[in-house]
Amino acid sequence: MTTDTGVLDTVAVLIERVLDRDGAAAEITRETSFQDDLEFESIDIVVLGTQLADRYGAAINFPRYLSTLEIDDIIGLRVGDLVDYVESCVDGP
Amino acid sequence: MVTEPVAVVGMAVLFPGARDLDAYWRNLAEGVDCVTGIPADYDLPFPGGRGGFLAELATVDTIGMGVMPAALPHTEPDQLIALHVAQAALADAGGPPADPERVGVILGRGGYITAGLARIDLRVRVAHQLLVSLRELFPEVDDAALDRVRERFAAELGPPSRGAEIGLVPNLAASRVANRLGFGGPAYTVDAACASSLIAVQQAVGELVDGRCDVVLAGGVHHGHDVTLWSVFDRLGALSRGGRIRPFDRDADGLVIGEGTGVVVLKRLADAHRAGDRVYAVIRGTGVASDSGGTTLMHPDSRGQVLAVRRAWAAAGLDPAAPDSLGLLEAHGTATPAGDAAELATLREVFGPGAPAVIGSVKSMIGHTMPAAGIAGLIKAALAVHHGVLPPTLHCATPHPDLAATRFRPLARARPWTGPRRAAVNAFGFGGISAHVVLEQDTSPSAAPVPPVLVREPVRVLRLAADTPDDLADLLDSGSSQGNGRCRIAVVEPTERKLATARRALAAGQPWRGGDVWFSPRPLLPEHRIAFVYPGLEADFAPQVSDVAARFGVPAPDLTADTLARHGTALVAVSRLLDTALRAQGVRPDVLAGHSVGEWTAMVTSGMYDATQLDAVLAAFDLDGFRVPDLVFATVGASADWLAPRLRGEVTLTHDNSPNQCVVCGPAEHVRALLTELLDERVLGQELPFRSGFHTPRLRPYLDQIRADSDELTLRPPAVPVWSATTVAPYPDDVDEVRALFYRHLLEPVRFRPLVERLYDNGVRVFVQVGPGQVAGLIGDVLRDRDHLAVAASSPRRGGLAQLARVLAAVWAEGGAVDTDLITALPAGRSVRLDLGGKIVSLGAEAPRLLGVGAARVVAEPVRDLLRHTENATLAVLAAARATTPTRTTHEMSLRALPYLRDHRFFEVPPDWPDQYDGFPVVPATELLRQLVVAAERTAHGQVVVRVREARFQRWMAVEPAVRVEVEVTPIDGGLEVVAHGYARAVVEVAPGYSAPPAAWPVPAPERTPLLTGRQMYERRWMFHGPGYQGVSVIEGISDRHVRGVLTVPAAPGALLDSAGQLVGYWTLEQYDRDCRTVPVRFADLRFSGPAPVPGDEVTCLAVVESVTGTSVTARLQLVRADGTVWAQADEWELRRFSSDERVIGLEREGGTALLGEPHGDWVVVRERWSDLASRELIARNYLTRQEWEDYTAVPPRAKRDWLLGRIALKDAVRARLLAERPQVFPAEITTGETEDGPWVLGRHGFTLPDLDVAVASADGVAVALTRLRTATGVGIALGATPAAAAVAAVERAERAAAGNPLVSVDGPDRLLVKGNTGSWTVRTEVLPHLDVVVAWTEERS
Repeated sequence: MTTDTGVLDTVAVLIERVLDRDGAAAEITRETSFQDDLEFESIDIVVLGTQLADRYGAAINFPRYLSTLEIDDIIGLRVGDLVDYVESCVDGP
Repeated sequence: MVTEPVAVVGMAVLFPGARDLDAYWRNLAEGVDCVTGIPADYDLPFPGGRGGFLAELATVDTIGMGVMPAALPHTEPDQLIALHVAQAALADAGGPPADPERVGVILGRGGYITAGLARIDLRVRVAHQLLVSLRELFPEVDDAALDRVRERFAAELGPPSRGAEIGLVPNLAASRVANRLGFGGPAYTVDAACASSLIAVQQAVGELVDGRCDVVLAGGVHHGHDVTLWSVFDRLGALSRGGRIRPFDRDADGLVIGEGTGVVVLKRLADAHRAGDRVYAVIRGTGVASDSGGTTLMHPDSRGQVLAVRRAWAAAGLDPAAPDSLGLLEAHGTATPAGDAAELATLREVFGPGAPAVIGSVKSMIGHTMPAAGIAGLIKAALAVHHGVLPPTLHCATPHPDLAATRFRPLARARPWTGPRRAAVNAFGFGGISAHVVLEQDTSPSAAPVPPVLVREPVRVLRLAADTPDDLADLLDSGSSQGNGRCRIAVVEPTERKLATARRALAAGQPWRGGDVWFSPRPLLPEHRIAFVYPGLEADFAPQVSDVAARFGVPAPDLTADTLARHGTALVAVSRLLDTALRAQGVRPDVLAGHSVGEWTAMVTSGMYDATQLDAVLAAFDLDGFRVPDLVFATVGASADWLAPRLRGEVTLTHDNSPNQCVVCGPAEHVRALLTELLDERVLGQELPFRSGFHTPRLRPYLDQIRADSDELTLRPPAVPVWSATTVAPYPDDVDEVRALFYRHLLEPVRFRPLVERLYDNGVRVFVQVGPGQVAGLIGDVLRDRDHLAVAASSPRRGGLAQLARVLAAVWAEGGAVDTDLITALPAGRSVRLDLGGKIVSLGAEAPRLLGVGAARVVAEPVRDLLRHTENATLAVLAAARATTPTRTTHEMSLRALPYLRDHRFFEVPPDWPDQYDGFPVVPATELLRQLVVAAERTAHGQVVVRVREARFQRWMAVEPAVRVEVEVTPIDGGLEVVAHGYARAVVEVAPGYSAPPAAWPVPAPERTPLLTGRQMYERRWMFHGPGYQGVSVIEGISDRHVRGVLTVPAAPGALLDSAGQLVGYWTLEQYDRDCRTVPVRFADLRFSGPAPVPGDEVTCLAVVESVTGTSVTARLQLVRADGTVWAQADEWELRRFSSDERVIGLEREGGTALLGEPHGDWVVVRERWSDLASRELIARNYLTRQEWEDYTAVPPRAKRDWLLGRIALKDAVRARLLAERPQVFPAEITTGETEDGPWVLGRHGFTLPDLDVAVASADGVAVALTRLRTATGVGIALGATPAAAAVAAVERAERAAAGNPLVSVDGPDRLLVKGNTGSWTVRTEVLPHLDVVVAWTEERS
């Protein structure tokens, strides 16, 4: 049971910026679904990927991560999945 | 005797999460958990407490009920809610009853302390008590001062009344209904604790059956979230510790308190049939009984319950033990272990075995609504019968073992009710009063036909208008539902969460567009133009439009999309349908455009074709024979300009969509190769699921298939301008040019991004995507950061009408004129939010002065100047004469003396945890500094402290247990040396007055937006500080070198400078992933140029980081008052960095769930994650209890490290096991120890652990611990250099004896067999990566 508050907080704030809704991060948890809860569209995912790369640098290749997922996984993607991915890039060996 | 059946013909509720009956049913069927934390305005002093709250749903039209605003504070809110719900129930029953003289009202209501009573209690009793106590505490205070306090206290409670409080008598909950609605039947409340409302139903049935009434309103009312009720239940141990009510779950640990009101309208069934009423359900029988001398008054007992259930079934003339006697039992289900067990015993006895039936309790969703619990259950059961759906019960994952002996099972998800629809409802009250009701579907031949399910009711949209965002916020808070002005906000299907979002948006004053909240501080319409943009083909196609077609009376389009041509045809049809619907609702475009095939849709909807002719051609077109090139498309997550030079082979660009998206087309293998290359450049590409060569020259040979049809169509000028994405200009007027452009468009790239830019330049600000897909998202990407609205009229997430309503709400919020029949406003006008909580009176900012103590300090400015001059002269003389001897004082540092330190605890502990030690409350360095300054000032007679030099803090000043600190002030050259022995020292300089403030530093540039706001920093526990120390209200900007923000001076002394330090702490947290927790340890030079700001003042703070090392962060800071003058400036403010990594940070932020140990099955391993003693000590403080800390201090220095790791491992092994079933387990809840028999673990302060065997081993900076449910053999775990050595050691530990020279043999991979003294052990082994050490643990003994 690891915790990832730090990355989660960062990701939530970046999502808030993509959506251009000041304060939206407060409602974002690991369980938040990009599709159902945030009504994310593909373009938002791309922009979020760019922001992640700006923040975390070369270790993050969000597009590559997405390319490993099945379409159903992408549709069901939750913020926690992304957080886990970012953590694996930042902390990984 | 069998009772005459009674019909439920109307129902209404106001329960947590349910504004009305529809919402209640939706929540029931979908299993919505409406239990929440305590809303702030309920003023309930139960930190972390959870319950069912109405909060903002408690909004009623008080004026419509004849209650004037002035009378509201003296009215019991539950009466108004009862009236509101009764009116709604009558409306649901079809309107006012025929003969009001023969209508009764019987409501269950308990004698609890309700909001109205609590207020009069404050006004009368508490005010008096306050004065008595003040007089005792401060005998010197005169009566005038006490009068001031009394007046202030009373003023907080609002103006007094002349006897209006008589309206607080409890029976008015029923009488007010009868009075207001003119009913002449009996109207009264009944109190039978939690059985009240079912007893009200029984009484109502009696009134009807005996012919005294023709209609009776029956139900229950409970709005009593008062500290008294909570405390009583808390002391009983009946409240769930985790704040989750889990009826009939094996691990149910108590209830949470709810509130609410429900009312049903009852009639004799025969009357209901005659009147043609809708009958939700028929009440067949009711039964009530008491425990005849049960064990105790408060202990649930099955005897009375059994009697009540049997009586109800006898009244119904039915046998409860019949195999299919019922399909649903709505249980009392309090989720207290004793209550659930007794209820299950009753069910087993009365119903016995039989066809499986569903058991449930609505308490799992709304909490226990006490006297209203019965009606909450009865309405749930009636709705289930009516809808033919069996609803779920929450939090019952591991059913109570006693359920197995009954015919009942809980449901996790709703399912259709297939068998006979008969249900029964339990409500059992304290004191042994039980009630039961049997109800069923109306199956009689004369039953009115159930009306067909209505097309969903209009979407509810809160629409507010005002001149400014602030005024809008006021309107929102006042519960208003209209208003006038330029600024608009629309909230679709408002919920508490959406309204919170709306408030946030209004507070920020920036547009908010989406998530069902639409707010525009500067509306875009009517000054700007609206564009309809029709989408092209995209990967997904699943529009929901059948309800739109039905609503507008047109056939639903064929949505088959199995071939390219069918996909395109269906897409165009959906777009045309939505176009019709939008225009019918008043949304009319000024400009049309399209994406790809959508451009053709635009030509169609603009009227360029003759509709009849067009439909004929389309109908005749051979959709299955249409051929296209075999080329694939792919979207690419980058701009067209970026991609163009990277294109290879036969891949061409077909769409320039937005700055972050374009589309390419080409042979499959070329496109795929490109996508693979792009991944290396971090660019995502996605192949689309259809093939064609549109927008490439390769389509040209295929155009002949459509040319004949297309050229045959008559062309006319468009009614609304259509813009082309080929020319990025309006379509030409000339017919031949239009035809030519039509073909060009099919062969050339779509220039969507330039088109959107051009439309924007031409005044378009509102873009409506008319059709399915993600074109609105592309528009948003093009116009990012430019004020505009892009909204889609179709969404895969919701029905067509529901999404259409969002477009209407969004356009309305931009100032557009739209029809509102699809988006009904909320009930208009006069609604008022009722205050259902308790009230803690604050005497306000003036409080300290009320007693007159502070009054003396308020002296006019000129007088003060004169005094200062005189004083200075005197002081100069005194100072010269004074000897340089130290002054000593002793200070008690404790939570008693400094209660605000409760808000300065490092570690999270369970809510209401009794042992303050575990949170590690410490005096912050800044508070210690303040005390040193005060001590110095005392010896300096009227002079002020202007500078502090070389302030150093040596160790934690922990205040639990209390410590006494000696503070010594010694005059030295150039100041006063102040020492708190063992803790801190500083040199303080005093002067007769402050010198002129230095200039404020400029704001460094550039800076970025901080990740978090001040509020978020605390909420997310980046900072551990409680309210008294939460001074950072805004974090304005941050860079690699600085951070700045606004501090609002908090209440706790010393908290202002602490908050400044928090800003630097925040900087470290945002800047570094590791070693980022910091504590101030040194202020080299701190200068003050004025007296300290007082609580509530705003101060801006700029911190510039000067240097960072592995163990420190040093910054300079300036604190500037609101008038722009510098109050304080610090140079070399040094913070110590403590070791932390992601696990340590996790522990800080989520102390109840995060582990330092890494679980491996049933054991955990803990490595040392810190590099220095101070960091280790902080971890030890976090994990160890008072006793463990004492043990730790007695361990020899060299052994301390492994000892501590062992204890952490032990605790985390236990926590990891328990966390599988509990939301939180804190280290403080467990204590550990070691005897000759090995380690042991115990729960603390009422927290009980399962019986566990535990084992632990540690060496060289790593520890492992194992837990297992207790067996006779014991367990062992050990570390060793080799598997065999570790395995032998593990067995020795399990056997608690040296093994001599045991036989070790291999039993499989990582599995050894060790022959010990007591038997042969299977031992598992694992090499710990990176550590070169083997862990071995016993598995079983044979």
